[in-house]
Amino acid sequence: MSPSASEIDDEAALWAVRIDARGLDGVEDPELQAWLAGDHRRAGALLRAQAAISFLDRGRALAGSVPAVEGRGPSRRALIAAGGAAAAMVGGVGLWTLRPRRLDTGLGEIRRVPLADGSMVAINTSSALEVDIKARARDIVLKQGEAWFQVAKDAKRPFVVSAGPVRVRAVGTAFSVRRSERGDPRVDVMVTEGVVEAWVEGVDAPPHRLSAGDMIVLASAAPTPVTESPSEIERSLAWRNGEISLDGESLEEAARLFNRYNSRQIVIQDPDLAKERFVGLFQTNAPESFAAAVAATLGADVDTDARTIRIGRARAS
Amino acid sequence: MTQSRAEIIAFVGGRILPHEADVRAWLLRSGGSPADVDDVIQETYCRLAALENTAHIINGRGYFFRMARNISIEKIRRARIVRIDCITEIDALNVVDDEPSPERVVASRRELHRVRRMIEDLPERCRQIFTLRRIHGLSQKEIAARLGVTENVVETQAARGLRLILRALSEATAQDHSVSDKTHEPFRKRDR
Repeated sequence: MSPSASEIDDEAALWAVRIDARGLDGVEDPELQAWLAGDHRRAGALLRAQAAISFLDRGRALAGSVPAVEGRGPSRRALIAAGGAAAAMVGGVGLWTLRPRRLDTGLGEIRRVPLADGSMVAINTSSALEVDIKARARDIVLKQGEAWFQVAKDAKRPFVVSAGPVRVRAVGTAFSVRRSERGDPRVDVMVTEGVVEAWVEGVDAPPHRLSAGDMIVLASAAPTPVTESPSEIERSLAWRNGEISLDGESLEEAARLFNRYNSRQIVIQDPDLAKERFVGLFQTNAPESFAAAVAATLGADVDTDARTIRIGRARAS
Repeated sequence: MTQSRAEIIAFVGGRILPHEADVRAWLLRSGGSPADVDDVIQETYCRLAALENTAHIINGRGYFFRMARNISIEKIRRARIVRIDCITEIDALNVVDDEPSPERVVASRRELHRVRRMIEDLPERCRQIFTLRRIHGLSQKEIAARLGVTENVVETQAARGLRLILRALSEATAQDHSVSDKTHEPFRKRDR
């Protein structure tokens, strides 16, 4: 019987480590040559193992960089910094903290804002929040849209996000909350780190406990189960980097995603085209480049004006 | 022009490997068995290993998906009995390429979190050696001296750590898949 994929992977890992440690030249070492020649799959497995090492090293390089704080301009950023400094001096009970702070984003805008307690919030397009950091509580109201919170640990001040009747409570963790108003109102909660509790006000049921990688949809109607899907969550939160990550979505669904961010709306004119599915990674603010890629792939026509990008069947010529 | 082996490894590490989880999940959803998926992924890396140059690959993610799709179709054609929906599922998916810019660093930054967690999940000895080598850049000899063990032990543990990480890269998705069956994804299935 030929060796299984995982046996080959195990051997490849050892070779990759040896090459890395000894600076071995893969082409010159006779023992390695013999191993590679024994099975054509080994070259691929070795490449994958070496790529994993290179990937881990990339991780180190990236880890050093601090994510940029995106704001509307230096004045606002300076204001936030000043606010933080003031909070540090007054020790969290300063008068200024009594006033809830309003944060909002326009169409296509994505902001990262540090909060006075050391937490960080990333706010997606067309969203509105009210932030109230008090001595004994941290209350956030998501009035509209979507936000991801990286919560600073502080057991004495629970961090509670309200979205309609839904409440999400955390101590030191990271999670996102999204309100959808169209159709049935619903609130999606996705946890990226730690544990949170989520519940619906006025519903007599114990709170749902969610850990990293869990997501739940809370509607005012029927209860829904917690599902575990870390990769789905990472993909759904690609907006934090200004990206839309497509993984088999239909063109119709993809258009809806882009339309969330742009005043220039994608319109699909052919119902069959609308069902085509796509994989790809795009920038939220570049619907034109998405449409061009779609057109090239499907041989469709794109018609662009100031307000719309129409994707339709190619006209017979 | 031929690229150096190191350049190809860096390309695969930065632009291909980070998308492996997604490609595996997609292949599973398209009806492949876990063993089929392993084969397709392995074949993909084999073909990458045979490349002399990767400069023509503009979008790593798109390239990975397209290659996996082509290999799946070849496999299906070679097989005697084929599930019809297997072909249509794979065929129905369009892989689109964006311009080179958006991918990059950002994608790997998203992966960084996952990699960190993988390292943290390693058994203690493994994790220690892995961190000293990969994060602090110590040589195998220095690590051996610091921990008071032989270089051989360091090498064995480092290989064990890498094995576990390689396995985690392929297993994380199998989990996601079993769960995603329960979640509702109405837009994924297209009815014709």
